[in-house]
Amino acid sequence: MKTKVLWLSAIACNGNTHSFLNYPYMEQFLNDFEFIYHPVIDTDYTLEEIVSSVIACDILLIEGSIAEDFQRADTSIVKIIQTYSKIVKKIVTVGTCATFGGIFRESDYKNVSGLHFNQELPTNTFREIKDKTVSISGCPIHPEVLVNTLYAIKKDIRLELDKYLRPKEYFAYTIHNGCTRNEYFEYKVDNHKFGELEGCMFYDHGCQAPYTQGSCNKILWNEINSKTRAGLPCMGCTEPGFPRENLFSTKKNMGIPENLPVGVGKRVYLTLAGITKAFTIERLEKKLLND
Amino acid sequence: MIKLIEKIEGEAKLDFNMKDGKIDFVDIAFMSTRNIENILKGKAAFDALVINPRVCGICGHAHLMATVQALESCYKDLQLTNKAKIIRELTLNFELIQNHFKWFYLTLLPLFGKKQQVLKATYPTQLMAKAIAIFGGQYPHTSYAVVGGVVCDITHTDLIKLQHYIEETVKFFEENLVRSQSQSFLESENVDDVLSKEGDLIEILKIIISNEWLELGKSYDRYIVFGANSYFTKGKSMKTRLSNNISLTSVKESKQETSYAKNVSFKNKYYEVGPLARAMINKTPLIKDAHKRYGDSMFSRILARVCEVSQLLHHSKKLIAELDLSEASYIKPSQEISKLTGAGSASVEAARGSLIHKVELENGLIKNYEIITPTQWNLSGGTKDNPGVSQKAMIGLEEISIAELVFKTFDVCSVCTTH
Repeated sequence: MKTKVLWLSAIACNGNTHSFLNYPYMEQFLNDFEFIYHPVIDTDYTLEEIVSSVIACDILLIEGSIAEDFQRADTSIVKIIQTYSKIVKKIVTVGTCATFGGIFRESDYKNVSGLHFNQELPTNTFREIKDKTVSISGCPIHPEVLVNTLYAIKKDIRLELDKYLRPKEYFAYTIHNGCTRNEYFEYKVDNHKFGELEGCMFYDHGCQAPYTQGSCNKILWNEINSKTRAGLPCMGCTEPGFPRENLFSTKKNMGIPENLPVGVGKRVYLTLAGITKAFTIERLEKKLLND
Repeated sequence: MIKLIEKIEGEAKLDFNMKDGKIDFVDIAFMSTRNIENILKGKAAFDALVINPRVCGICGHAHLMATVQALESCYKDLQLTNKAKIIRELTLNFELIQNHFKWFYLTLLPLFGKKQQVLKATYPTQLMAKAIAIFGGQYPHTSYAVVGGVVCDITHTDLIKLQHYIEETVKFFEENLVRSQSQSFLESENVDDVLSKEGDLIEILKIIISNEWLELGKSYDRYIVFGANSYFTKGKSMKTRLSNNISLTSVKESKQETSYAKNVSFKNKYYEVGPLARAMINKTPLIKDAHKRYGDSMFSRILARVCEVSQLLHHSKKLIAELDLSEASYIKPSQEISKLTGAGSASVEAARGSLIHKVELENGLIKNYEIITPTQWNLSGGTKDNPGVSQKAMIGLEEISIAELVFKTFDVCSVCTTH
């Protein structure tokens, strides 16, 4: 039996839809799952049919930020969610907009938020369905994280969730784990310049990888790379506060980055930084390839 | 009669007015807007590099390129290396290619009564997404192009991988869309040559011919292209009469009463943008021949879009050969953007046509931002006396289902339009 999935778009850019299409084993996925509606893939039902009746469905996926006054096929997105959340086994918020409000929290709709969170703060509208919700944050979601979560639901595998209902298997890590620029961070070599293979973007260029939770450098993007490996700072896109302001610069107080790695106190950080400043690692001061 | 058109990266409502069994006028309405231009106000200039790709999940990379170029145009003396320029052009090409594959296999096939081919859409588009990720770290939603260049550096081994992604995609094209050597397809100057071949594209073109749909979808036969690069040429064309002297100052945006989408015109006239427009300005031989026979009908429009895949793959190979890896990827601008005051604009060719961004900065903060998307050009809602491009293409048709087909040959993007 194929698991029936409804992919519902709220206030979105469809970035999650297209990121999902990058799942490398789509044929296998489509053997096991069937969309009753999807923004791009053909389905047996039209959106009008989805909103005017209740079609049998196992999992409800929500993409995009949610606001009462946003409609799809002349029906409030809140009403559509309420109808389908009653009949499905699980609800998955797909992306940071659906989870925390994301970029479109600032759009012109009224009281825009994620399904259960308005940034960090819990919301009330959907509290009865909180027990059956899993959050996959990310702007966009990583296709493998979404697909694996759907399989976990299909196979009734118990998922350990964090306080934002995100599967710990993917969100217990930080983006910093597995970054090829790690050593520059560990030894506090703060000479990053754009356009180079060397250097860490944490000190000056706003990289949020040490305090952003997700698996970008563990399960690579498009199977080959990640933003931080390429030389682009982590923008913290899986976190409740995304997007914060001044994304390309590091906020500092008296020369110390304001946000420190998850769970690392200021004192610990300063002590470590002090020690590393006492020595120079020549290898990390030079170019990697043509020294 | 109102019909909700779905799966166009969102929806639009088409209100068909029928007269004597024919479409007399079509009102096009988009039901929402996110107001990204407002979200940008007051933010640091570089934040636009992160926010703007999120205008659209399928052409966000074009929004990144328009953003970075608009910000760069605020400088008087900004320097870019050729390497950075080529890398940017490559990744934008790859986005156009992935879009066209998706459009053909996901959007177009079902309109011709065929089954959507999800795997034929995802296989080549995943290769193109990987090609972008080599430079940008990921696709969609990278912000790897920054003022002064690109954030990445690449090596010769990266290029080998890149070339393999491109060759695999070329092979896919040759085995599926047009079964032929791409070179001979690219050089073809005659529609009959192409029709003598086989493949998924040829099947569609033959359906158009056998159903006698060759006259359908014609509009003003008026084209415009703003986003010049090493492949596309800036200019406008009235039928085949070409003029390369056009300026953004003649582009006007205006509000509509019945839709959240804004109209856009050039010297108060509506123009078609997109692959057909680009081929008409570039005078691509095969498309010129299609146009000579069938004008700006959907036949020409469909052929032009698929043909562009092959052209851009070929051109990308040339660009890679020109890359000098010893050049810098990034040159630090003489002035920090956080202190910059100024205004600028840029246009790039996105998958669906010319995309324009305009920005005003005050001490590094965004004071004003304007975005004009390709779908606004093609879907501008005119009046019965002066219909927009896609409206004109639908007027006179007898069946709503054919009108939907004609409408979707413009490769409509709802999220872009409702930015």
